[in-house]
Amino acid sequence: MPTVSPRGDRKPPDELERARLWLAGHGLGEIPPTAALARRLAVRQSCRLAGSLLLAGFILAVALVYTVSNDPATDPSGPSLPPSASLLLLTAVVAGLVAVQALLDRRVRRIDRQVAAALPRRAAHPVRVGWRAVLGRPRAALVAGTFAGAAALTAGALTSADPGVRYGAAVVLIALCGVAAVVLVQLRHVLTRPAVADDEASLTADVILRIEDARETATPTMVWCLPWYLPTAAAPGTAFGWWTVSWIVLIVVGAVVLVAANLADHRRGGLAAAHRERLVNP
Amino acid sequence: MIVIDPASAVPPFEQLRAQLAQQILDHTLVVGTRLPTIRRLAADLGLAANTVGRAYRELEEAGLIETRRAAGSFVSAAGENARAQAHRAAADYAAVIARTGIGADEALRIVGAALGHRAAPTLTN
Repeated sequence: MPTVSPRGDRKPPDELERARLWLAGHGLGEIPPTAALARRLAVRQSCRLAGSLLLAGFILAVALVYTVSNDPATDPSGPSLPPSASLLLLTAVVAGLVAVQALLDRRVRRIDRQVAAALPRRAAHPVRVGWRAVLGRPRAALVAGTFAGAAALTAGALTSADPGVRYGAAVVLIALCGVAAVVLVQLRHVLTRPAVADDEASLTADVILRIEDARETATPTMVWCLPWYLPTAAAPGTAFGWWTVSWIVLIVVGAVVLVAANLADHRRGGLAAAHRERLVNP
Repeated sequence: MIVIDPASAVPPFEQLRAQLAQQILDHTLVVGTRLPTIRRLAADLGLAANTVGRAYRELEEAGLIETRRAAGSFVSAAGENARAQAHRAAADYAAVIARTGIGADEALRIVGAALGHRAAPTLTN
């Protein structure tokens, strides 16, 4: 049964309750939840779920393409697909990933626009809220370093004399390009989308939503998962064992940076406090 | 924070100009602060880019902000210098008044007349 929030908005109680818990979780428990915030949170939750399923599907699709394109010379019993056809198929899978992710982002943008259009007035920060304030240097370094490291390692695998390793590296490289495109598109949207706020409280909530979206995008879990299609990765102890070790080091260093960045924000008193500090000292 | 109320009788560009000017003068926005781009602020506030552009132009003409072509718009030190200059002139004036023995009321009337005299041509232009 619908309920009325302290600001007079009608919304199912579970969504408003979720908004209230979200605000309390960010140290903004004194702010009453609104239907607008509840709607924005709901669309993000559904899109994040869809995005996770999309990435899971992407990993499965890449694995499938790699499996059905086994070299018949090395494995005559397995299924085979000409390398050009499999790479084409993989490119199509990557394009599909980018397109569907763009549609999910568009859905979030559409809801934000609708909420903004319904506001009686509009509020904004008088200072430029750039990537340093939203994403922060450690996370920007993490995402750039992870992609650079992954690309360097994959390029290293491309130099292998083993055609199986080279093919696997090509698969990873195409997938890496696709994921990088998705991350860039998402980050651009997060950093440039208009603020949706009509007062100080909703402006703070808007920035925290933006920071959360940026963090979600910048966490390179997908890149960390990608290399395991290289045959060497599945067979530790081979001549290419250093490659697997290097990728594990990349993941461990990335995880350490991520944990350190989260702890630093926690020490500053959560996202709301960290945001205020970054606005003063961008 | 800047708030634009479309229902207000004050035009949106003036609401924006006045709020930015106020925040610059009361040091909420310190010298060197980078303002949002015209396009970004227009999107945030649901205004046309021309509206934000007009407010920025007027702030620039008042010496409160400066725009560097590639880097964007920044809170200018010019406004700060002008204020410091006014403080120095007021201190000099107070010293003259004390030396000549003119009363405080009369001194304020003199200043008021001088300000009115200087403001008059501006108003008629």
